[in-house]
Amino acid sequence: MSILENLQRRLIDAGLLPKFLAALPKLSMLLVSVSVMLMLYLPMDGQFRRTYISENALMPSQAYSYFRETEWNILRGYRKEIEVLSSHSSIERNAIMSSWLEEFGLKTSVYKNQEYGDSLYGVFNAPRGDGTESMVLAVPWYNAEDEFNVSGAALGVSLARFLSRWPVWSKNIIVVFSENPREALRSWVEAYHTSLDLTGGSIEAAVVLDYPGVSDYFEYIEVHYNGYNGVLPNLDLVNIAISIAEHEGLKVSLHGLTPDEMGNGDYWSRLKMISLGTKNLALTGVREVYGNEAFSGWRIQALTLKARGDTNHDVTTFGRVAEAMFRSINNLLEKFHQSFFFYFLLAPRYFVSIGSYLPAAVVLSISFAVASIDSFVNNQYVSMVDSSYYNLLSFIFWAVSVIVCFFLGNSFTYYPQPLLLLLGNVVISTIPLAAPKNLSISEPLAYRLKTISFMYLSLVMTSLLVVNFPLAFGMGLFAYPMTLVMLNNTDNLRLKTRNSILLAISNPFIAFWLFITIVESKLDGIEAIYGLVDAWNKLGSWTWFIFCIGWFPSWILVAISALKVEQVQTEPNSKKHL
Amino acid sequence: MLYTNEKLVLLAGFTVRLLLSIGFSGLQSSLDNSVEFSTPFTSFKSLQEGIFLLNNGFPLYSGGVVHQSPLLVYFIAFFNSNLAISVLYALIDSIIAYQLLAISKCFRNFQSKSTWYIALLYLFNPLVLLSNISRSSILFSNVAISTALLYSLKGNYLITGVSIAISGYLSLYPLLLVIPLLGILRSNTSRINLLSTVVVTLAILLAVSFNTSGNNWDFIKLNYIALLNFEKLSPNLGLWWYFFIEMFDVFIPFYHSVFNLFVVSFVTPFTIRFYKQPLYAFILSIGWITLTKPYPTLGDCGFFLGFIPFFSPIFGYMKYSAFTTLLFLHAMVLSPIFYHLWVDLGSANSNFFYAISLVYALAIASLIVDLIWAMLRMEYDKGKPDFKSKLTQL
Repeated sequence: MSILENLQRRLIDAGLLPKFLAALPKLSMLLVSVSVMLMLYLPMDGQFRRTYISENALMPSQAYSYFRETEWNILRGYRKEIEVLSSHSSIERNAIMSSWLEEFGLKTSVYKNQEYGDSLYGVFNAPRGDGTESMVLAVPWYNAEDEFNVSGAALGVSLARFLSRWPVWSKNIIVVFSENPREALRSWVEAYHTSLDLTGGSIEAAVVLDYPGVSDYFEYIEVHYNGYNGVLPNLDLVNIAISIAEHEGLKVSLHGLTPDEMGNGDYWSRLKMISLGTKNLALTGVREVYGNEAFSGWRIQALTLKARGDTNHDVTTFGRVAEAMFRSINNLLEKFHQSFFFYFLLAPRYFVSIGSYLPAAVVLSISFAVASIDSFVNNQYVSMVDSSYYNLLSFIFWAVSVIVCFFLGNSFTYYPQPLLLLLGNVVISTIPLAAPKNLSISEPLAYRLKTISFMYLSLVMTSLLVVNFPLAFGMGLFAYPMTLVMLNNTDNLRLKTRNSILLAISNPFIAFWLFITIVESKLDGIEAIYGLVDAWNKLGSWTWFIFCIGWFPSWILVAISALKVEQVQTEPNSKKHL
Repeated sequence: MLYTNEKLVLLAGFTVRLLLSIGFSGLQSSLDNSVEFSTPFTSFKSLQEGIFLLNNGFPLYSGGVVHQSPLLVYFIAFFNSNLAISVLYALIDSIIAYQLLAISKCFRNFQSKSTWYIALLYLFNPLVLLSNISRSSILFSNVAISTALLYSLKGNYLITGVSIAISGYLSLYPLLLVIPLLGILRSNTSRINLLSTVVVTLAILLAVSFNTSGNNWDFIKLNYIALLNFEKLSPNLGLWWYFFIEMFDVFIPFYHSVFNLFVVSFVTPFTIRFYKQPLYAFILSIGWITLTKPYPTLGDCGFFLGFIPFFSPIFGYMKYSAFTTLLFLHAMVLSPIFYHLWVDLGSANSNFFYAISLVYALAIASLIVDLIWAMLRMEYDKGKPDFKSKLTQL
């Protein structure tokens, strides 16, 4: 203690504390830039690691894969049949598929869902093992781009036939044909865990096949692994997929890039991969949904294999990747538990783990806390007692705005009006400029509103950053401009314009719209807001509500504090004590 | 007598509880399944299990599931409708709030004015509210504690003794609060009377329990020995569980005694040091037990926080209340998230959750330390608050 006291005395003698407090706004800005720098630093040499299979039992590609020429004709036969099915209704399609599956001994059942589409599934009981665990081979009839998944379905059924003739399985194999990779598959996964009668034990891993078209050849494999709410499959599963695919001589691509776009593995290409990884994980549910997302939240490791191009590798190679993955997963004696659950892939074989990238979001969260302290300390109202009228009032403001935002978000899930929402927020953003002269707010309240708003945002980010790092990081970055809003005590036009612009760009919905419009060329900003609401309603993605009750209330408080302020004379420690 | 606004607050608290438990019937079970509000020793689920066993004529304690006192199970079994139980729980919380008001009336600082905010801060503390909705049986122990405190301040050793014995009978550790209660009672005869009342009441309760559970001492083993020995190794917000997950068997008895000693250790020192402010010693002891007991819930914490307004004359001395508040906030927000990551998603592990329970423990500890500091400062200033002068550099 005495060392600390000594130190503190020195600091006070040097007058550092007031200087430090005065520098808080700069510190906050510094922390934000540190946070961005940290993310930029991650793709540098030495910051990332080469992936490795940490669970020795997996042994990818150690067994010879037999899904070869012998199956080629069977596969093509099924494909020919399925091509015709595209014009059939889903009930007929499922009936025919289920008759095929039953031919080689699978128990089948159709999960009926009027709203989201039916899903057919068949269970193959493991010849070895106690049947308490299973692996899923999922094939959506229509894929993420809404193409008929012909070869995917043909692969699904011929693989099921092929696998069911082997005696090696110690985990049940479940084959699922869902109408689409979005809500149909999601609702099946949910029903599997809640209401279905025919089940095959706990699902350990799921592989989704996506191979549209009737080509006999494909060029490379895309691996998709992002889940809802920041959930990723265990890195081991992604590793075995990549290792097996490369063992088969395939090129692997991530985030929907072509192998050429993946770059040559230098700093810039790694940076590109980490930024795409962050963006795509934050936007899961809004962008294309490939199918593996449906399994997130149930302790299931899932990924999608998607075939691209129509040259070089024959279709059985694609089947062999799935086959070898199933052999690997089948080897597991325990759940996936080693390795990493939070990571970014910088290249198929390079990754950064959570320990390296988490500080970026932590620092960002701290910068909000610093901004909060700044608006508490750096004004004449700092000596107000804790239970003073203004503190209480700002707390009530906060509580009310959270409740209002909650109901707003909730009502939006029934009647989404994105355009109205955007316009409304633009109007609120112009409050500093356009508000009538007599509408004003007392200065201490304005400061306290800012304090509580930034502290709340910091708390939201802290709680979010382990669960969904990309969302926390993105939110922090785009919400940051609101900490630069200054109190309007001079009524000068330049200040007011500046505040308006800062408010507009830090508004959750406007920022989201802007971001989508600029970055996601395939998506329309307004549609994307529908997508957010939809993802909440149908897919169980929390992003919409995090925006509504995490980010929006803070923004509203800052918008209120940007009204014209009135100075109030306060006597320290006495004014309106509770 | 109560002021009108005090009555209104009590009524509002009662109504909100009733509405929440009737209107959101799913809330009860989801809260009762959450690790923050329910433990094997306080959960309503195990109480219901007990009632089921009772109604069907099975022995209560042979299954090893029920860890609730036999008389409590009998008492709750008596209310056979869901509504009646909701009313009972809402009523008991309102009684606690009423008693807090009554306690405040015993002090000069609070006497002349309305102290509605004390009841408000208790009844509308989310921790208390949610714990009440979850129907955690800790509530019965809590009401006994607040009754004991109220009547000890009034000098009534009989009711004090009976109620503290009941709370000890229900959850064992509150029995330690007899020590600060002895400090509150000022004459030696009433102290002796209190002790003998406690002993007699406990003897009667145990005898009746023995009799009602079919002349069987199993309930002692499952209620008290299991508590002392931390036999249900399940995660909670406390400090115990993590230590006992992986420990060589030979060390376990030793550490059980160490942890129990830890709970006991500070109660007497608090009572002796703050002999002149026995109410504060009592409250600090509650805080200490909340911090160190083997199966704490947020309900315990909420009950402890309900007493904090009594410290309001010395709030000015507290040095890091903002820090404590933030610790509490982060612990509350992060603990369900980390538990979800660990148990539901399987992408984190027990260390995450334990780290948060440490933050929570730090929050309680820093509150206790801060309060003690404030009281010592008050003593130094000889009862005349002087918030301006600084005694230490830090």
